[in-house]
Amino acid sequence: MLRERPTLRAIALSRTFGSGEVATTALHEVSLDLYGGEFALLMGPSGSGKSTLLAAISGLLRPDHGQVLALGKDLWRISDGERQAFRLKFCGFIFQGYNLFPALTARQQLEMVLRWGEGAPYREARQRTDEMLSLLGLSKKAHLRPVQLSGGEKQRVAIGRALIKEPTFCFADEPTSALDWAHGEQVIELLRNAARERGTTVLVVSHDARIVPLVDRVLHLEDGVLAEPEPARSSELWSVR
Amino acid sequence: MSYSLATLWYERHRYMPGVLAVGFSALLIALQCGLLLGLFSITSIPVDHTRAHLWVGAPQTLSVDLGRPMPESYLLRVASQPGVEKAEIYIQGFAYWGKPNGGSELCMVIGSRLESDSLGAVKELTPELRARLTEPGAIIVDESDIGRLGIKGIGDVAEIIGQRVRVVGLVKGLRSLAGPYVLASINTARPLLRLSQEQTTYVLARCRHKSDAPGVVAKLRDFTSMTAFTQDEFSLRTRMHWLTKTKAGIALGCAAALGLLVGAIVTSQTLYAATAASIREYAVLQALGIPRWRMALTVLAQSFWVGILGIAVAVPVVLLLTQGAEMVNAPLQLPSWLLALAVGVTMTMAMVSGLAALRSLRLVEPATLLR
Repeated sequence: MLRERPTLRAIALSRTFGSGEVATTALHEVSLDLYGGEFALLMGPSGSGKSTLLAAISGLLRPDHGQVLALGKDLWRISDGERQAFRLKFCGFIFQGYNLFPALTARQQLEMVLRWGEGAPYREARQRTDEMLSLLGLSKKAHLRPVQLSGGEKQRVAIGRALIKEPTFCFADEPTSALDWAHGEQVIELLRNAARERGTTVLVVSHDARIVPLVDRVLHLEDGVLAEPEPARSSELWSVR
Repeated sequence: MSYSLATLWYERHRYMPGVLAVGFSALLIALQCGLLLGLFSITSIPVDHTRAHLWVGAPQTLSVDLGRPMPESYLLRVASQPGVEKAEIYIQGFAYWGKPNGGSELCMVIGSRLESDSLGAVKELTPELRARLTEPGAIIVDESDIGRLGIKGIGDVAEIIGQRVRVVGLVKGLRSLAGPYVLASINTARPLLRLSQEQTTYVLARCRHKSDAPGVVAKLRDFTSMTAFTQDEFSLRTRMHWLTKTKAGIALGCAAALGLLVGAIVTSQTLYAATAASIREYAVLQALGIPRWRMALTVLAQSFWVGILGIAVAVPVVLLLTQGAEMVNAPLQLPSWLLALAVGVTMTMAMVSGLAALRSLRLVEPATLLR
């Protein structure tokens, strides 16, 4: 299943918060390779640096040292605008909580990403959105607002928002934390399908040990250090799909 | 429906203060300006209620009530201008009205010709009233000024600078600001204003076509011993003089600015709070790479709709109050250009509020979603 060349490489990433006596090292020379179609789980105790690692490799938080190479681009050596454009084209995110606009329907939450992000025409955005909602099993709920949806349905909308643009990378932070296991399993299944069927590189940060059997690889982070650090490979990166 | 409009409707309770603030600002601007316009339109009634296309007076005449004596012979100059169909003299000036029971009151005496095609007789003077004014010493006043002049009605006698005058009729709708209008014939008015037979205050003229008036005025301005205006120019000049002389314009400006400021602050804070409440959602969009300007556009679209809704609330209220003002005879004027101006200023205020609310987008930081 794993490809030879990684789509994303983190090389010796370090990040410290605060300074002097109160300085906290969140990441300490973390190296990591992720591959196209891979469904990876990043685990670790609270405060181990999981979210910081996710933020650094996804282009949201600048590391103090190290490199992030995504599809051949050094994410922290390009401009803010280029990084934003990269995220727009290649990255999907699922955060803790659903973070859905209360006033918008499930359909509008997804359409918005296509219309604002890609400038997709209304009809195209509507068609792609309806396809995604169908895939998520939400066709009949398309017209409902967040307050009318269950927690599981809201999380599926959030996943749809992350996957609607068919990203190369999907980063998810505790996507099952607010759900019972039946709904949590559905969510994980959706993310696994994205990896299997679309070749998306999926990295999930979670405390939930029940996910472990469902993923391709488990990474453990403790005190900012990967328990079994991955060797940084020198081979070429995957090209952009 | 756009996302911003959908949000506005769904969270209408949140946006309501902004909508009401915009509506209040629009209402305040429209009514204040309308009242002022109505109030100062009273000052130009002698110009607006007569048929003259152009007014010629002494040099540097600031407003119709500040006319000064000039030779009646200027009538010929005006009448001989190509394009002028008819010209006549018109006298006007302040005088003291001696009340029958003592005391005095400043009044504005207007003396005009009284024929049916007279240029200077105000339109409120019916043929019957004009006929009555031909009697020596006959005058007509507005019925609303009876109390102010200390008389009871038709037939009463009073004095103006010692000259006896008799009220032979009453008109309606000839409101005054500085002093009640006293309408009379030229012959009656002259001595009341201490003018000689060779003097007049204005020469009025009517052109064959009203559009000829500016050309005639331009030619008459070559004469340095007099000054000429079209009817519209003189009307506006009179109102503007009163507006600036009484400093009412400054008062209006301050009150309107205050209304606008309150409206802008409330609207801006409403939009700021609404945007700040959705900061996590915006942060997700930014993480997904959607540019910040796109979100800024949404905030501006919301400010646009808040402006539109505020105006939609204000306009019916303004129209209702205007009708109410008409019923109680309050001097409120609301021409369509003034309504358009109020709408324009208010919309600008709403959009500026939206721009000020954009600072809330600085709070959007996607990395915070991962803590």
